[in-house]
Amino acid sequence: MVKILITDDSSLSRKILKKMLSQEDYEIMEAENGLRAMEVYFLEKPDVMLLDLAMPDISGLEVLAKIRELDSQAKIIIATADLQDLTIKATQEAGAVGYITKPFNKEKVLETIHQVLNNS
Amino acid sequence: MKELTEKQRDALSELLNMGFARTAASLSQLTGNRVLLDAPYVSIHPIKKLSKELANFVTGEIATVQQIFTGNVSGNALLLLNYDGALVLSDLIDPDLEYEDENDQKNDQKNNQKKRKTPNPEILTEIGNILLNSCMSVFGNILNISISFSVPRLYLEALDGLLHSLVIQDEEMRYAMLVYTSFRLKENAVTGYMIMILSVSSLDNLLVAVEHWADELLEDA
Repeated sequence: MVKILITDDSSLSRKILKKMLSQEDYEIMEAENGLRAMEVYFLEKPDVMLLDLAMPDISGLEVLAKIRELDSQAKIIIATADLQDLTIKATQEAGAVGYITKPFNKEKVLETIHQVLNNS
Repeated sequence: MKELTEKQRDALSELLNMGFARTAASLSQLTGNRVLLDAPYVSIHPIKKLSKELANFVTGEIATVQQIFTGNVSGNALLLLNYDGALVLSDLIDPDLEYEDENDQKNDQKNNQKKRKTPNPEILTEIGNILLNSCMSVFGNILNISISFSVPRLYLEALDGLLHSLVIQDEEMRYAMLVYTSFRLKENAVTGYMIMILSVSSLDNLLVAVEHWADELLEDA
């Protein structure tokens, strides 16, 4: 079963993403901050990670860089409200494989995950 | 003090996250720099205690753009910028447009000091207008409430004075929703905060709308 890790400090966003993904045959894991996300990532080795950027302890961009440094094959999709072109570019340079923005659109979320899984 | 439920706080934080993201995108477009956003923190305080609360993180001289908004949810929106950051920002947007306050010049000459540059009020007011509008428009669109804005006003004075005048102007403005989100650009040269000050009834309306929005999001997901 495909494992997906949702990382967001907002329980509302985690709930929304979890519900959107529940119609697919995915095993969903959650992390509420960057530190927990790295812990869960290396314990569970999810196929895809959805990662928020603005989080209280460590920013999503730092989490992305750290995970990619230790696992260059990590498939991380940024899931954020940040709409800046420069942020999109920074995450691409750090190795993100997708970028979805809040408020989430179910079709866009599922399509992005399918694309990432099909390309792996 | 009015307490937010966990559901209200979570939904409000997400809404503010989206509003600030739009603000950051606008600021990034204006300046050509990436804007770093911290996770939003929301708290509600009696307005009379706001100065004390703000003193925890807003220090030194600041420039404030204030905009009154009206509608189902009405109140004051404030954009706070560190004073030196306001200078950097006005330079980034229009480096050719020099502005020096005449009074400052006179004082500087009298004190035989180097002339001090002042943030260009026109540019700062317009920045405030764009940033506050982009954030508040997201609230309006998402919550499906109509919000109208007044002309923005710039204050280059201590925040205490401005907050005091708000308390005096409208006794109904008893609560401030403090949005503890800072944004930074140019390697922390510019830092800013946004604050919404709402009347009791507006705060209640906002919380009802936010909870409704969160319920709808979950239903539609």
